[in-house]
Amino acid sequence: MALVTRRALLRAAGLGALALATAGRRAWSATETSTYIFGQPSEFDTLDPHLVFDVGRVASRINLYDSLLRWEDNPPKLHPWLAERYTVSPDGRRYTFFLRKGAKFHDGSEVTAEAVRYSMERQLALGKGAASLFKPVVEPGSTRVVDRYTVEFNLREPRATFLATIDALYIVNPAVLKAHEKDGDWGSTWLSSNEAGSGSYQLEAYNPAVGFTGRRFAEHWLGWSGRHVERIEFRTIREPASRVNALLRGDIHATDGYLPADLIDKLSRSPEVKIIEQESMRIFVIMMHNQRPPLNDVHVRRAISYAFDYDSFINNIMKGRVVRNPGPIPNNMWGAPRDLQGYTYDLEKAKEELAKASVKVDRPLEISPLVGYPVTQDAAVVLQSGLRKLGIELKIKPETWPTLVGKARQQETTPDLWVLWVSTYYADPANWINEMYDSANWGAWKASSWYKNPQVDALLREALRITDQAQRQKLYEKAARLIVEEAASLWIYNTKWYGPFRTNVQGVRFCPIGNGREARWIYLT
Amino acid sequence: MSAFLKQLYADRLAFAGLLIVLALGLSALLAPALAPYPEDVYDIHPAQRLQPPSRQHPFGTNHMGADLLSRVLFGARITVVIATVAVGSALLVGVPIGLVAGFYPGWASELLMRLADVFLSLPQAVLAIAIAQTLGPSIPNVILALSITYWPWFARVVFAEVRSLKNEVFVEATQALGVSPWRTLLLHVLPNVATPIIVRSSIGMGYTILTAAMLGFLGLGAQPPTPEWGREIAEARQYLPEAWWYATFPGLAIFVTVMGFNLLGDGLRDVLDPRLRRGRP
Amino acid sequence: MRRLLYTAKRLALMVPTLFGLVVLVFVISRVIPADPVALLAGERATPQQIEALRHRYGLDRPLPVQLLAYLRQLARGDLGTSLYSGRPITTDLFGRFPATLELTLAAMAITVLLGVPLGVLAALYRNSWFDHLLRAVTVSGLAIASFWLAIMLQLLFSMELRLLPLGGRIGVPPPRALTGLFVLDALLTGNGAALRSALQHLCLPAFTLAFPALATVVRFTRAGVLDVLHSDFILYERAMGLPRPLIVGKYLLRNAMAATLTQIGLLFGVLLAGAVVVETVFDWPGIGLYAVNAIVLSDYNAILGFTLWSGFLYVLVNLLTDLGLMLLDPREATR
Repeated sequence: MALVTRRALLRAAGLGALALATAGRRAWSATETSTYIFGQPSEFDTLDPHLVFDVGRVASRINLYDSLLRWEDNPPKLHPWLAERYTVSPDGRRYTFFLRKGAKFHDGSEVTAEAVRYSMERQLALGKGAASLFKPVVEPGSTRVVDRYTVEFNLREPRATFLATIDALYIVNPAVLKAHEKDGDWGSTWLSSNEAGSGSYQLEAYNPAVGFTGRRFAEHWLGWSGRHVERIEFRTIREPASRVNALLRGDIHATDGYLPADLIDKLSRSPEVKIIEQESMRIFVIMMHNQRPPLNDVHVRRAISYAFDYDSFINNIMKGRVVRNPGPIPNNMWGAPRDLQGYTYDLEKAKEELAKASVKVDRPLEISPLVGYPVTQDAAVVLQSGLRKLGIELKIKPETWPTLVGKARQQETTPDLWVLWVSTYYADPANWINEMYDSANWGAWKASSWYKNPQVDALLREALRITDQAQRQKLYEKAARLIVEEAASLWIYNTKWYGPFRTNVQGVRFCPIGNGREARWIYLT
Repeated sequence: MSAFLKQLYADRLAFAGLLIVLALGLSALLAPALAPYPEDVYDIHPAQRLQPPSRQHPFGTNHMGADLLSRVLFGARITVVIATVAVGSALLVGVPIGLVAGFYPGWASELLMRLADVFLSLPQAVLAIAIAQTLGPSIPNVILALSITYWPWFARVVFAEVRSLKNEVFVEATQALGVSPWRTLLLHVLPNVATPIIVRSSIGMGYTILTAAMLGFLGLGAQPPTPEWGREIAEARQYLPEAWWYATFPGLAIFVTVMGFNLLGDGLRDVLDPRLRRGRP
Repeated sequence: MRRLLYTAKRLALMVPTLFGLVVLVFVISRVIPADPVALLAGERATPQQIEALRHRYGLDRPLPVQLLAYLRQLARGDLGTSLYSGRPITTDLFGRFPATLELTLAAMAITVLLGVPLGVLAALYRNSWFDHLLRAVTVSGLAIASFWLAIMLQLLFSMELRLLPLGGRIGVPPPRALTGLFVLDALLTGNGAALRSALQHLCLPAFTLAFPALATVVRFTRAGVLDVLHSDFILYERAMGLPRPLIVGKYLLRNAMAATLTQIGLLFGVLLAGAVVVETVFDWPGIGLYAVNAIVLSDYNAILGFTLWSGFLYVLVNLLTDLGLMLLDPREATR
């Protein structure tokens, strides 16, 4: 109320000309409970679920499409979804999924084993998005339709993470796509602005500049007991400050949970917004090029690891809203050694390590933060300041995400250091430690520390072959210790998710894989 | 010379412009001595981040806890370097092209001026963005992008002046006297086109500073921890409205500086070229 | 006849300029260091796959051949495909153009409707306190960085006073699309809520965009009016004893308009370039924001498309102003 008076006063004080602004601002959105509006940080450039595989744009995939299994809740658990159950052959190479009968695509046709087969082939053929998960183990053409409701994947070799990743394969409607196929493009031109799924919502409108809206798919196999929203809208608002303002005004109901700490503080002071706090699994890492001098010397890498002011960064810049994560696996994921100490900010130790190094740091090092992500730049500046005290010059050269991903494919073009988050693409330690430090993965951006240790390689590969979690955990803990010992990268923190919602939003079900963007559980009061 | 200064002094606004430009030059030159915390150009103190203006920090501190006044002062250096080098090289390229093309009509001259027109057929900021993006973000690349977009203005202005001068009696006379064309060009034509060049340069400095700041703002310019004004404003955005000082002071610095060059340019035009004098009695 | 000849000449002059523009943009684009093909190929593409793509997009051919192919493609009205979204760039640009057009038109309206009368007044009351004040304002208009002005306006009107939205184009469901201009569509469909929201969202960006252009228009109108005031025919009219309002209304304005019109072509360029930063700060989903996104994503095709598109528009608008000027003042054609 005080605010209104203040506003009225100011308006009276000569700003009357702009008064058209305030009247009826809330008239539309806050009273309506049938449409849920989410303020989306990145644009949906394409809706094709087989082209993108990032966390930022998960909403179109998770709401418009279904997978065989789905990760839910936190800590994440794998639920039956389009598949009712599955079996794994004793040699760990054949996975058979049994589909539920009567699940329907949005055009009314049934979701069949053929659709699953087609989706896998399409994902592999397009070669983008989640293809990197399946390419190493699934040969194109190897997926077999057993009967209308049974499909089997025949892997090249056993892979403990295959199940964990199968939710990344979104099932598309082959009949619709074949009708829109042009020059063997698997219908991708059409699918970039349309939809052919079976998900809880079906596409209503899409404009890459504005976002997309969906309406509830009444015939969804899961049924609709309880309360739900009729329509969902994911509206692109790029600037974090604009999203926060829109949320405070009630133009939107929710926005992403990884806002800068200062903005979370601001939101937490509003009575109209609630912040749902969840431990997430998204570690913040500075990659180091382990093969390029002087970073190929373990002492130089350790010295750099000692030169980053972790406490100041986490407490001042991140305002204590993240937790220190000293190793390559998120603290809250099994496989992370509980007692791992990691590195601290200690310039004396850093100098000792530098003295032990067999190579001299005789050139400026280069670090690339991500354009558009200020936190990565702040981290680069913090490291720069620490290294300066050791007499090492660090040049900051921000690059865009796509450019860095391109450069990180090859040793020659990978920067000395670069800053990034590694999110949960699937809930298994392999998502981090295997993909980042098994030298078999060299050439993928996650592995761009170019770390190679035969002992670690053996441990990590063994952990992929066996399925017993207790045994795998031991292998991962051992590997993690070795990797930290050798300072392969700088591991800084593990993110917490601070999902900001209007107080009338209920039923949010957070999972690190979908980041709370699965709308089917949400309702408004 | 003193008559010139007197005239400039009489135009109070232009004189103010001159003072601002001099102040900018001085703060660029003496930044290390003037700045209260010169080491804050690269040093950080996260514990004191985002402090409002106070006696210790007249402009407040930034998101890394560095003193903003010191950073703004050092920013003047970067701005002076960018603008001077960019305008200077645009001048070195554009003026000879304009001179020669204006003096020797022919297909080559025509081609050169068409080339200038092609550059002018794009809004300059758009062209500068495209070039800066191509070259990658850094200060030398910003300078290059700005010179590439700015030379056609010099070429055009000089070309037009030379064209009209060519038919003046004294130029025809020197040629009739058998003076070599190059001599005529350098000793007789060039001094007569100096005025529009000087005026263009002053206004060009203002324009260049604005465009450089825009490139910095879009992330196409200087990289951290360089205290470039445009980049500082871009970084400050996410701390609004609480840290209002962070975005305000670098922007004010840009404003005052460009204002200085524009006022000076206007004044110079009045003093040096009575033909173009503003409609003021 | 003369007019026709002038029009023909003006059109003919456009051809080499446009050709030059295409070559310029082409040259810029192929010097780019990072490899656009690697982006297209996906994460674990083999070198063979990258080569295949390079071949498919013709990036392995000699530059002159690539240029020819590029020209041929442009002639079909094809600006290429966005490396990122996979959509044709023309589709993307056309989809976003209404937003930019609406913003630019609003800014243009503010500029002309406010700038011309202010310029005339400044000239009529030359050297009054009003004239001096206006001069100070216009001089600042040309000195202020528009992104900074935008941020300061947001700080005051959106964050502090909470009068206007911080960004975006509309806060309610958009009106039914007829023209793509939200204000117009809302008027046509009688959608009051959408109209109010669209106008609120338009206020700050349009004013920010208009501010530097406003300075130019005021200055030129003022100078134009002063020229006319001192010209022989006005002195003659005055001597004839015609009432002052008539002189101002009938002769002054028409002549001053010609002076302003010459500026509009240039202004358009200023507005177009300004749209890039203004749209960025205000999250305005137009082609300027599209360009900035393309910069962030290194989507070269899209940057190229945007640059060409801006150039074409700019050349076209300048042509139209020249032709308009010819109609208003036939002497122009003989110069």
